[in-house]
Amino acid sequence: MGLLTILKKMKQKEKEVRLLMLGLDNAGKTTILKKFNGEDIDTISPTLGFNIKTLEHRNFKLNIWDVGGQKSLRSYWRNYFESTDGLIWVVDSLDRLRLQDCKQELQSLLQEERLAGATLLVFANKQDISGALTSEAIKEAMDLENIQTHHWLIIGCSAVTGQNLLEGIDWIIDDIASRIFTMD
Amino acid sequence: MTTMDSSVKLAAPSTLTAIDVEGKWNIVSERLQKREDERLAEIQKKREQKSETAALQESTLFFTTEFNKEKVAIEAGLSECDRVDKANLIDRFDFLSLSLQKMQKFLAESTMFLPPYEVRLAQETISKLQTQIQEKRDELFPKKKFAFKSKKKVASSEKLFAKTLPENVFQEKVEISLTSCKYENLKDRCLEKFEDEINNRDVALARLENCTVKLYGVPSAVNMYKLKNCRVFTGPVSSSIFITECQDCVFVLPCQQLRIHTTVNSQFYIHVTSRAIIEDCSGVKFGPYNWKYPSLDEHYKISGLNRNKNSWNDIDDFNWLASDTHSPNWSLIPEGELVKSWDELIS
Ligand SMILES: Nc1nc2c(ncn2[C@@H]2O[C@H](COP(=O)(O)OP(=O)(O)OP(=O)(O)O)[C@@H](O)[C@H]2O)c(=O)[nH]1
Ligand SMILES: [Mg+2]
Repeated sequence: MGLLTILKKMKQKEKEVRLLMLGLDNAGKTTILKKFNGEDIDTISPTLGFNIKTLEHRNFKLNIWDVGGQKSLRSYWRNYFESTDGLIWVVDSLDRLRLQDCKQELQSLLQEERLAGATLLVFANKQDISGALTSEAIKEAMDLENIQTHHWLIIGCSAVTGQNLLEGIDWIIDDIASRIFTMD
Repeated sequence: MTTMDSSVKLAAPSTLTAIDVEGKWNIVSERLQKREDERLAEIQKKREQKSETAALQESTLFFTTEFNKEKVAIEAGLSECDRVDKANLIDRFDFLSLSLQKMQKFLAESTMFLPPYEVRLAQETISKLQTQIQEKRDELFPKKKFAFKSKKKVASSEKLFAKTLPENVFQEKVEISLTSCKYENLKDRCLEKFEDEINNRDVALARLENCTVKLYGVPSAVNMYKLKNCRVFTGPVSSSIFITECQDCVFVLPCQQLRIHTTVNSQFYIHVTSRAIIEDCSGVKFGPYNWKYPSLDEHYKISGLNRNKNSWNDIDDFNWLASDTHSPNWSLIPEGELVKSWDELIS
């Protein structure tokens, strides 16, 4: 039995899912994490390092890693790739100026060998603000249709109102579960 | 027995006036007691603070020691790889990767108490170890299938990049136009927007030179890009403000978060309820928000910003995380140089 099978077996038992949440600074990663966990979102500061939350959801044990997106921290992202089941890429739907940077950062992540098996969920965040780009517009600008290496989905959401957060997380869990937990 | 009796007797005549004395004594002793309580509380507080910092220092020390042990172990494991039997090499690398994951987890659990600087150092260490493991792996399995595969992958991704990168970057940046609520490409102007136009919207200010901008209202977010020699005043911004590549400007603004990037020689009069951060900046100075206009109070209420919480004087510099010395990139505006009122300056 190879190590991979053993790992899969272990996961099967606990149904543990590791989600890595990345995106440019100001995208709303920490706000999404805290909102999802039912915590106060008014006091969130730009992330200097990273946050990790372990929470139970639908009988899964979710390990969500939220890593700071400031330029000076992006070189550390790769520290967190190992054993990632799902990548949540958060986009600030107001940030038209950096949409191109955003696309490039995501593209280079998708070429990472260690993220090869991960499911990709793109959150087009801040939809509660009028003037936000639609998820459709972001999909086009970021050329998501061309992604063939990963299962992916883009969904508009708001970390402030909570709109679609659950739907997004449920989708990524379902996708991961269908790959990992249904074997033998 | 007799003494007791007599004392009782002696005391008897004075009991009437004693109420008076007792009253005074009570007040005095109450005060004394209060002072004593305060003193004790103070000592207790100091003691707690002391043990708290001691505990913090202790845990930090514990962390760095344990973390280093793991690091040394991985390095040793790596250097032994050359001598390990080929058949056992895969297991060895799996083991090293697992150890590294453990370090990462240990770091994650320790971020609660670790100073940011230590977190950053530890991240750097993990980064380096990861590279070392990868390099060793590539060195020892040069002809393995997965190495070949990964090379092919990189090659094709390079193509992908080559296709998308050079021409598109600039083009598409222009293609995606700014939000409709904006001022763009203007010079020597005085610009104003009011609540009807900006409340619950995002506002963009881009490529302005020598302008004064006043936003009387509650935008959800504000993005400023390439401003030169401008003065910007805003009402309470309910979420974040993002400032990039500005120079010689004055910003007077309240918000929940403030991110300032690649900006030089500018002043910020701010109200930030969570945190302001700078990255790749120099010569940026800070003072407390002090713009006033008639509906400011009402706008504060709409924004939901907490007026009593302002960390205008505590800035995180992402290029300077040493906790013992102050960042050379930002400072506070000296008390005497603070502008007291903007009315004459900008009307
Ligand atoms: N209106 C609105 N504001 C949001 C939303 N999500 C996040 N924000 C605001 O956007 C700002 C940035 O949010 P954060 O969660 O700190 O962003 P982040 O991605 O964690 O940023 P870094 O830690 O720097 O990488 C904050 O001011 C949030 O209040 C949203 O859905 N709607
Ligand atoms: Mg964050």
